[in-house]
Amino acid sequence: MEDTFIQLPLQIDPTSKAISASTSYESKPLSAELAALNTLHRSLLNLDTPIPPPPLPVNPKRSAQIQKLRESGNASFRKGNYPEAIRMYTFGIEMAVGRPGWEPSALVRDEVSALYANRAQAHMAMQNWPQAMIDAESSVEMKRVGNTKGWWRKGRCLVEMGRLEEAMVWVGKALDVEEDAELKALAKEIEKAVKKNENV
Amino acid sequence: MFNWIGLLMPITYIGVLVGSLATFSSLYRKRKAAKAASLAPWFGPHVPRNVYLSLLHLEPAPGQKSPAVPDSVLRAALLRRATEDIHRVLAIRSAKGALGVLVQRGSVGDDLWQRFQRAEQEIEDELRDVVIEANAFSPGWGATIFQTANEIASNAIIRKRVDDIQAQAKSETEWWEKKRATIQSEFMKELNSEGSSEGPAPSPAPQKTPVAAPIATTTVQGGSDEDTVFVEGGGPAAAGAKGSAKKKKGKK
Repeated sequence: MEDTFIQLPLQIDPTSKAISASTSYESKPLSAELAALNTLHRSLLNLDTPIPPPPLPVNPKRSAQIQKLRESGNASFRKGNYPEAIRMYTFGIEMAVGRPGWEPSALVRDEVSALYANRAQAHMAMQNWPQAMIDAESSVEMKRVGNTKGWWRKGRCLVEMGRLEEAMVWVGKALDVEEDAELKALAKEIEKAVKKNENV
Repeated sequence: MFNWIGLLMPITYIGVLVGSLATFSSLYRKRKAAKAASLAPWFGPHVPRNVYLSLLHLEPAPGQKSPAVPDSVLRAALLRRATEDIHRVLAIRSAKGALGVLVQRGSVGDDLWQRFQRAEQEIEDELRDVVIEANAFSPGWGATIFQTANEIASNAIIRKRVDDIQAQAKSETEWWEKKRATIQSEFMKELNSEGSSEGPAPSPAPQKTPVAAPIATTTVQGGSDEDTVFVEGGGPAAAGAKGSAKKKKGKK
């Protein structure tokens, strides 16, 4: 393989500079690769420098915007305006996920995790348990350690939906990762509910 | 002079011996090399690398000025290639320990180990090649291109995971709507069997089913005080009468 390669019949669009394969040679991995390449190329063109900068330091503009969206979401939540809070958090999530790929992924994880946890809370306040559960799970997926709120929220949603078995498994997993009084209380509550169901 | 004729026998003997040994050795080596070459490669085709090199060799269209492909596209293609390399390096690293143990125990054949070592060698050359290319585009990029590629790779993984989880939201919501409907109908049956004269007291979540909301209000207006309390307690959570006390606690 060292000095050989497979020559692909590629074409370039003279105006948009988009790369495409000639139709006779279309294949799924190749077209996926070319789509990714064209997206990356467009995002590279938005840069001031010809090459993407090293991951650190981060451009502070986007971080500040995400922070602001989260704060205004929190403010709406405190006022009890949950749909507005959800909207703000959703914008924040989109912004955090939309960071260019070369920015540090640890940062994306942190931001996305916090925003999903908050959105889960807002959904819970509106008793939209399934969506809240999904958001809490996303939050935990992004950040497993130091995310008691995320763990607890999904457990709570499962209890609210009456899925006690799943809730028990989930909280058990959570207690493996975190030592937390609230999680323990939730575990006890689930146990009680299970017993009560058995008695009935 | 007579010595030469006497020596002819041993010399022929040695000649034949050495000749057959040499033939055997060269045939054996050739066969071994052919066998090694016919081993399947560890990874599939390196598509980004092929794309990058094809772009480099793309001929300018007739009547157009060269170069055919702008540098920015090539840089993007190189970055894609580096990202794919990162995936491969990670795969190699995570496989190495386990494979080493398996080979030592004799659980897997020598072929696999040979293929693996070849892949390792190839990826090393590939990394060196990418660094050289990167430095050619802009001095110093070789030092950071793999950092960048690494972040791109892990960011892609993060996004995929979140998308996978979020994709379940729709089915979960549908499931919950269905379950809530059954709970509600059971709840109402229970109410009716208790013989309450107020009639059906539907308990929908107000923000979800706006059509049902007016019915609830009329019931509350016409019904007794007890009924009003009941709708508030068990209603929105809609998890049946059993759980209503617990539900209230949970909302705080």
